[in-house]
Order: sequence, then C-alpha cells, then structure tokens
Amino acid sequence: MPLDLEKMEGDIFTSKGMVKAEFTFWVGLAMDKFYDGTTDQKFIGTKCSKCGKVFLPPRNRCGDCFAKAEEFVDLPGTATLKNFTITPWKITERRAKKGNKNALVGLVQVDGADSAFMTEILNTTEDKLEEGMKLKVVWAKRIKGHPQDIAGFEPVGGA
Amino acid sequence: MCAKVQPAVISAGFCEHASKRSDVNMAELVNEAVEDTITKAGIEWKDIDCVINGNMPAFEGANIPELWMTDHMASKNKPFLRVTTGGTTGGSVTIAGYYAIASGMYETVLAIGFEQQSCGDTSMGLASVALGEFSIMPELGYEYNKIVSNMGAGAAIGIASYQAMSYMRRSRATEEDLARVVVQNRRNAAKNWYTHLKMPTVTIEDVLDTPYISFPLRYGMVCPATDGACAMLFTTEEKARQIADIPVYVNGVGSYSNESAVLAADCAGAGQVDPSEQLGAMKSAEVAYGQAGISFPNKEIDYAEVYAPFPNQELMWVERVGLFEENTAAEAYEQGITALNGELPINCSGGVNSTNAIGASAMERPAEAALQIMGKAGNQVPKTVHTALGHGWGGAVNLITHLVMSDEPQRKFKGGR
Repeated sequence: MPLDLEKMEGDIFTSKGMVKAEFTFWVGLAMDKFYDGTTDQKFIGTKCSKCGKVFLPPRNRCGDCFAKAEEFVDLPGTATLKNFTITPWKITERRAKKGNKNALVGLVQVDGADSAFMTEILNTTEDKLEEGMKLKVVWAKRIKGHPQDIAGFEPVGGA
Repeated sequence: MCAKVQPAVISAGFCEHASKRSDVNMAELVNEAVEDTITKAGIEWKDIDCVINGNMPAFEGANIPELWMTDHMASKNKPFLRVTTGGTTGGSVTIAGYYAIASGMYETVLAIGFEQQSCGDTSMGLASVALGEFSIMPELGYEYNKIVSNMGAGAAIGIASYQAMSYMRRSRATEEDLARVVVQNRRNAAKNWYTHLKMPTVTIEDVLDTPYISFPLRYGMVCPATDGACAMLFTTEEKARQIADIPVYVNGVGSYSNESAVLAADCAGAGQVDPSEQLGAMKSAEVAYGQAGISFPNKEIDYAEVYAPFPNQELMWVERVGLFEENTAAEAYEQGITALNGELPINCSGGVNSTNAIGASAMERPAEAALQIMGKAGNQVPKTVHTALGHGWGGAVNLITHLVMSDEPQRKFKGGR
C-alpha cells in the first residue's frame, strides 16, 4: 500500500543534518610518471615486460599477461583517431548546456601505443573527421602536471 | 555439514601497510599483495580458476572498486565474486574462498581483502554501516543528535568502550591489563615487515600516559587507520600437496551473527544488553571447532589470531572462543603465556591493534595463522604450530568469522571418500 503522506502529517518528523565527506584519490605509480611527462610536454607510457604492449595512459600491469609493465617509454605527440562523436552539449561545472558550436570528441591512439584515450579534437570541422586520420597533440597554454595539460588533438597539417 | 573437497591454503601475501600509501592507487596497492601471494606460492597467475575480493563498502570512497582493478588482481576472464560484510569482510572473503573449493567448483581460488582508507572518509563509511541501526532508534523515541553522541561517543571507539566497561566489570581487568595487551601487540608488530604501528620500546607507562578518548580507552590503545591489502590462495588437498611444502588445511569455518547490532542499544530480539557476552563468537567458534574435530580448544590450538582493534576485545575474544577460561585472560597475558615464546601465542603479527586496513584485517588473521603453520610468518613463533585459529569481528559489530586451520587434513577425510 502506498504511503498517504497527507494523512500521516503530524506523525512524521524530519531531522536535518549535514554530512561532509571528503574523498582523496591517489593517482598511483604509473600515472604519476605520466603527469611528470605532461609537465615537459611529452607522453610517457609503459611497456609490458612479456608481450611488449605499450599502454598510454600508463599502467604498471598488463591485463593480458598479468606481467609487470614497469618500463617507461617516451611516445611521440602524434596519434591516430580510432573513433569519434559529435555533441552539441557542453558540460560545465554548474550544468550541461548547449554550446555555440558542436564539440568533437574522439578516442585517440598515440603512435606506438596499444591503448587509447578520449580527448577533444580541435581546430577542425565535423565533415573532415574520419576514423584513422592523423592527429597531433595540442598542449594547454598553462602546463601544471594535470589532466588538463592536454588541451586536445588537432589534424596533422592543419584543418 | 561437511566439505565435499578438503580445502587448503597454500600461500598468503601482503602489501606494505602504512597510514597513507599515497604512492600507489587502489589497484596498484591490491596488486602488490596479489603478486606477493602468487610469487610465494610459485604458481602462474593463469592457474587461478576464480577470484573473490572484498573491502568495507564506502570506506574507500569509490563504488565497485573491484571492477576497475580487474587486471591488477589477475581476474581477467575468470569467474569473479565480491563479498562484503563490513569489518568482517576479510573473514567472509576467506570463507567464500573455502566454500569455492569445498563445493568442488574450483581448484585454485584467490581471495583478496583490501582497504585504502586514506582515499575515503572513514566516518562517512562508518555512518553508512551504522545508519541501518540508527534509523530504528527514532522509533524508540531517541533524537538523532542523541543517538550519535550516546552511541558513537567518538565513532567506533564508542562501541568498544561500552564493551570494555562491561568486560572489565565482569573480569576485574584493569587499565594496566589493557595497556599490557597493547604493548605486546605493538612490540610484535615491530618484528613483522608489513605492519603499520611499530613500537619496539613502548611500555605500559607510555600507553597509560596518553589521554582518554572515551573511558577506559586511551589514544595509545586504539588501532590506527591503515592502507593495505592481503591475499590468500586456496586449493584442493591433492593440489596443495604438489605445490606447497607444508599445506595448511582449513578444517572448520564459522560465520555467525548473534549479538544485537550496535551495542545492543535496541536490545535486539534476544534482549541482550551485555556487549561483552558475545554469544555469536561462542557459537561461531563452537561450530568451527566441531567441524575440525576439536574438543579442547585451549589444549589443541597452538596459535591464535583474533580481531581486536581495542585491547579489551583481545582479552574478551580469547576467552569467548575457548582459548582461556572466563576472566583469566588478563592473568595469562601478565604471565607471558600469550607472548611470542609462550605456550599459546596470540596475535604475534601485531594484530589489528597495530595494523587495521579494515577490509583486509579479518583476512590477515587467518592469513597470519596459516603462515605460522607453514613457518613463514613475519614474526614466526619458535614452537611448531600444528593447529591455529583465525578470527574476525565486524559487520554492524555483530558478525563473527572463524577459520580453524591445521597441518593435518580433517579426520573424516582420511582414507578417502
């Protein structure tokens, strides 16, 4: 039977309180090195000691071999677009709203890496996007060893 | 009620424990313990058939952490199960590992317990556990603020201080007796490689010199909040004989909840009002001993690890699980019976009192007990350990887990079935 809240008025009391919970997450051994790299405007990945797969963003363990992937390798700033989507929505800290122009986001595989990550595709238009196109990294104006050091990727040779 | 297959422990491993393991993320932390366990066992990760893991919900500040660390605990493309029962999580994960073998489903099972408390908010985690109990109390006419201040009396220690009071009243144990337990634990911890609070020179006076948090418990007596992980490898009797030098057979398990939840404050259905009575622990121990064929635990058990974040609990548990006569534990500690070279060493790892990575703590107890039988413990007792007990306490402070382990398989398995 559903509760009839109106009938129950007077029987219900509310107790207001505030709970503050702060969470901290440590980036870990591999990602710490990754952000060291972005500070110098370069990509650092890890290499599996058994199968040789290269991970970027780096991780210290290969998922396929369960072997250590603790060898750091420098990777170039060029990449291949593996997948993409186009969205009018822009998410800010306050809310999601429609932006003035569509945002292009894609799954980018840095040359020499076996894994890929999602980032924005800059300085191009929707009609020019295609899977497999060559991209290069665009670093943020202010570098601070932070995920936002990577502003996005743009097509090699301009739009 | 008996296992179809005789389960055995072949290895147990740990990561380095500390108050803040800020150098690694949760997945890497767990990975350290998994690697330690697999390397010590000398098997390949591919030999593992099933992975079971757990930690205290909400303490780490991330939901379903077990899924994003899949690759870090060798569980890719393997049957996977998460078990979580609050403070007893580690014990329940261990028992789940036992069940997985005992049922005949799997041959090799990796069980993992972990906690990175520096990530989450411990008070928030505790609140989420206690809330179920709190929510019933307005029905009894308590105001919310009163509930928190009366029952909490300074978070988890509030629960323990009521327990300590009633235990001390029963047994005539003194504050000095509590401090003696702490000294033994912290000095033992100093000899064990992975532990958190290492105090090789601490004295009873040092402990009694610290201020009270909530009578009779002082700052120097309570467990720390730790980041850490523990893992154990379970396998069948046949396989264990091939792999391990000294296989450790799990001969009895108990997992009972009996005490009313928080403090018996709502007096539960059973009307229990004494938090040091611990009928759940007694029942759990009785069942585990029964399965293992142990009639006289105080004579037949050579080593015990009990889950005691607070020193009064250590005295209480060793009595409730039948290792000492009621109200005699404090005396036994004073005589050194429970010390490293004593007749019945207790918590030589340093115990939960020195290292408390909650989701791992209740697993570290059976893990340490198993290692003592294998002769591979960090702080190994000089005498030979044949039979050992690993105990866990937690949940909504009312779930007790027991594992009785031995270097001999269960009697009824002899001669084959």
